[in-house]
Amino acid sequence: MRLPALFRTTVFQLTLVYMALFGASVLALFTFIYWSTVGYLERQTDEIIEAEIRGLAEQAERRGLVGLANVIDDRVRRDTEGRSVYLLVDAALRPIAGNVTYWPEELDRRGEWVDFVKRDPSGRYTPVRALVLGVGPGFRLLVGRDIRELEQINEVFRRASVWGLGLTMGLSLLGGILIGFSAQRRVAQINRTTRQIIAGNLKERVPVTGAGDEHDELAENVNAMLDQIEKLMAGLRHVGDSVAHDLRGPLTRLRTRLETLASEPTPSRERLEECVAQADALLATFNALLRIARIESGAYKSAFAPVDLGVIARDVCELYQAAADERHIALSCAAPVEAFVVGDRELLAQALTNLLDNAVKYTPDGGRIDVSVEGSRGGTAYVLSVADTGPGIPADERDRMLERFTRLDRSRSLPGNGLGLALVKAVAEQHDARLTLYDHRPGLVVELELPAAEKGAATEKGVRHHFLENGV
Amino acid sequence: MRILIIEDDKDVAAFIRKGLTEAGWTVDHADNGRDGLFLAATESYDALIVDRMLPGVDGLSVIRTLRASNNRTPALVLSALGEVDDRVEGLKAGGDDYLVKPFAFSELHARLEALIRRSASAGAAPATVLEVGDLRMDLLRREVYRGDRKIDLQPREFQLLEFLMRHAGQVVTRTMLLEGVWDYHFDPQTNVIDVHISRLRAKIDRDFATPLLHTVRGAGYRLDTRP
Repeated sequence: MRLPALFRTTVFQLTLVYMALFGASVLALFTFIYWSTVGYLERQTDEIIEAEIRGLAEQAERRGLVGLANVIDDRVRRDTEGRSVYLLVDAALRPIAGNVTYWPEELDRRGEWVDFVKRDPSGRYTPVRALVLGVGPGFRLLVGRDIRELEQINEVFRRASVWGLGLTMGLSLLGGILIGFSAQRRVAQINRTTRQIIAGNLKERVPVTGAGDEHDELAENVNAMLDQIEKLMAGLRHVGDSVAHDLRGPLTRLRTRLETLASEPTPSRERLEECVAQADALLATFNALLRIARIESGAYKSAFAPVDLGVIARDVCELYQAAADERHIALSCAAPVEAFVVGDRELLAQALTNLLDNAVKYTPDGGRIDVSVEGSRGGTAYVLSVADTGPGIPADERDRMLERFTRLDRSRSLPGNGLGLALVKAVAEQHDARLTLYDHRPGLVVELELPAAEKGAATEKGVRHHFLENGV
Repeated sequence: MRILIIEDDKDVAAFIRKGLTEAGWTVDHADNGRDGLFLAATESYDALIVDRMLPGVDGLSVIRTLRASNNRTPALVLSALGEVDDRVEGLKAGGDDYLVKPFAFSELHARLEALIRRSASAGAAPATVLEVGDLRMDLLRREVYRGDRKIDLQPREFQLLEFLMRHAGQVVTRTMLLEGVWDYHFDPQTNVIDVHISRLRAKIDRDFATPLLHTVRGAGYRLDTRP
């Protein structure tokens, strides 16, 4: 993996943010520790200096400047470690007493804290923190402390802070890179797989580690999606093959006919019209295929609304009544006053139209067809059933009947394109309906069980539909 | 009749133009939405035939723009998509009818005539009585007479006859009947409509000298005093 890719990962960017937050907290912590340790020492030093200068000022008042000079000399003698610094100068800044031999140039103000570096005659330099106080006419008193140790502590602390902070940053950066790498690796795996699929290898799947984490969940979802795509692709291929196979025959026949006609000096009008009719039949087949594909794509689902299945059943039965009468087939329709399901009125009507079309086509003269809508599953579903007394479908053929272009051998002589039940199946799937075919002894029963619409939804939208359908 | 075809498919446009010209109509053609919109807005037509998919301005936008500028010329939308929701979208945009490619010329012709007739009679007071020859339909009392004889019709037969009488003299296709009488918009696959028509025919024509309900081969039906 290239590094720039790592820098772009979300995990890494989050790591940077955490690193900044972490650094800020560590900085705050160090500041507090500094204030409560080194700061304490500094404050203590200042207090000692203040106390001493106050004492010396009292001595000066009590014993005069000479007395003060004596006290200072005395203290200098006693301070063997040389930790304290004293200096008394006159108005011309000439040293009178103390262990500093010159008035430091840095000091031109009185009553102020000052840090300076003391230079000994021996050439030794000492960092000093001092306070200056005016005593007597023009005289000035300086009292200070050697703060070499304090500075050393300070220095140690500063170094520790820098290292600590650096270490913190480094470790969190390292952690971020490691986490980023592993996350990136999993995502890269998914990306690699999807790229292969884009390239055409639909068999590929994203590895699932079994850790059960969110990456696994993503991988599983992607895999499930791929399974679905593969299934759809297979279906599509099957449809493509069927289309090619089942349309080639009629197309070839049409072509032969036209070729024959073209060779005739005066082609008969009748024969030409037959060709147009044949082309129309082919177009109808294409349209039916397109419609099934369109239904299967879920394009209608967004417009689903509560519709009264009873009204649809009565409508379509009425549409077929005349056709049934003509063949002396008794067509009955039993539907409750209201049977609301969520769906598309046109699709449901077309599905029922196809079922009735088949029923009328295959039921012998004098037979009967019963259409019914009944509540089932305690009112949570409705069963639309079409039962005929035709030849039925052998049990082992029933599943196959729902596929496109399947026609039983004995029905080849009747008009039809073998797409009727395929459309019913597509409509059923879109409506989450269960489609079953079974034996009516003799005949066929097709049942479509649809979930009932919820009551609230039915009353508002559905009633309006109901009125529209009845032309009120 | 003067018709404007806005259609970029040259074959389809030529096919429509040939048919309509043979029927004695005047036909203009624009092969893109912009020119079509310009022609439709500046010239006066009896009807427009508008393809949905057009280079430049698409068909529905053309109709929407015309409707927005108060142009009420009836428009028939042509589409290769042909599904219910597309139809709804087309009608919402201000189209008056919707036809899916490929279509038979007879279907287009029948629908155009119906459109023009409808828009011509749009301002007139709603008729209470429809008459074709000696066939008379009283819409208020919902009664039908042929000559002096009362004809009993089922409610759906009444609706069917009403639709045919409102389109008297015109060809009415099976799809138009399924749409107009049953309000379903899919293709009637088999002869269900024909059976209804033959029943109606038995009631209004059988015992009379001159038949009124004619079958137009390859197209549909026509209710007319002329054979």
